Amino acid sequence: MSDLDERLLDAHARDDRHALVELYAEAGRTANSVDASCFYLTHAYIFGLEMNHPLTPKLHAELRQHDRI
Amino acid sequence: MAKDIPDSDLSAVRRSVDTAQGLPNAYYVDPTVWEEEKKAVLFASWAGLAVAADVPENGDAKPIEFLGMPLLLVRDRSGEVRVFQNICRHRGMILVQEPRKIEGAIRCPYHSWCYSTDGRLVSTPHVGGPGQNKHEAIVKEDLGLIEVRSHIWRDVVFINVDGNAAPFEEVHADLIARWSEHEQPLYHGGADSFFHLDVQTNWKLAVENYCESYHLPWVHPGLNSYSRLEDHYHIEAKGQYSGQGTLVYRQLRGVNEQVFPDFPNLSEKWDEGAEYVAVYPNVLLGVQRDHAFAIILEPKAQDRTVEHIHLYYSQPNTDEGMRAKNAALWKTVFEEDVFVVEGMQKGRLAPHFDGGRFSPAMDGPTHCFHDWVAGKFEEHRQSA
Repeated sequence: MSDLDERLLDAHARDDRHALVELYAEAGRTANSVDASCFYLTHAYIFGLEMNHPLTPKLHAELRQHDRI
Repeated sequence: MAKDIPDSDLSAVRRSVDTAQGLPNAYYVDPTVWEEEKKAVLFASWAGLAVAADVPENGDAKPIEFLGMPLLLVRDRSGEVRVFQNICRHRGMILVQEPRKIEGAIRCPYHSWCYSTDGRLVSTPHVGGPGQNKHEAIVKEDLGLIEVRSHIWRDVVFINVDGNAAPFEEVHADLIARWSEHEQPLYHGGADSFFHLDVQTNWKLAVENYCESYHLPWVHPGLNSYSRLEDHYHIEAKGQYSGQGTLVYRQLRGVNEQVFPDFPNLSEKWDEGAEYVAVYPNVLLGVQRDHAFAIILEPKAQDRTVEHIHLYYSQPNTDEGMRAKNAALWKTVFEEDVFVVEGMQKGRLAPHFDGGRFSPAMDGPTHCFHDWVAGKFEEHRQSA
């Protein structure tokens, strides 16, 4: 299990949604395909929407760029 | 011995008060009539659900169950209080389980569809497949939260579930005009100015008891020293509302004779006058020179009602000790009524009770309410 996986699981266990935004965004940036990236960016964006996280507009723009939203 | 009255025959209720009978037993104890009453009376009119003070800050959300319906009271980003059905448009999942602040969007805990606090569907993750967050068949504009028609007056959130009632301002124009002097800012006293009573009675009996002053000297003997029966008058607006007024309202005084500040610019009538009105179906309001109250009767079952009592003042930050004393005083008064409304509920199991006869002189406001309820049933049956 990668370090990022562990940090994601830990954030889920703590229900730390601010951390989830940032960790899923990190997963999106390091994914090895557009589809995988958009999968993770979607999660980051949704938790961002829920928490009114400052990264949300940027995540929206990235998904929009790939015509995913 | 009185004869049983057929459930459907309400003609005796609709006669003038001197010859009328009260609503038959079935309207308090028969599950079939209870189901009919939800549609005929409670969903078809402007029913009290909550108070806006339940969601004091933008983004506050409070799930409320009303007659089995899961609803969500929300103060949206712009400060507007709204009522939605508390379900996701995707799989009907309950959206919000506990009262909480919505930081950004309302996210369904099942598949994470997200809604803005004003009800718009804003995101549908993976709806078109993994990482694909749109699909031509899913039109967000058509899938916002289902909003329940609502109106706020005197901080009470009224809802019209079936959506067919006339506008609130039209239905209650007469009462709004009657109390126009009191149409000014109200400040909820906060946590010490709210209490509830869980009562084993049908909600209508709580309304009926509130409407009339006839019982005051017997049930509230403490009032006799300064508020005698003859100091009260009836308030009856047929088909709309009813209640009672007093000519000898006396302000609460603290240890140093201090009083709550008055609502500004009231006429002399209110120096010693106060009025207590049942806004049909289930809201009981009181207006006085220095404070007001709102009681939402929450019908939990045909024989169980939770009374939510909220006290309001003319200014924020009134004296904490005075507020506590005032809340305790009102709680004592309302608790004195509990044995009466519970006793009348038990009495409705007596098989030959015929609805009862009214005092033509003293029970006009109660009969006014019965007549309104009967009228709502008749309207419903005629349209069925």
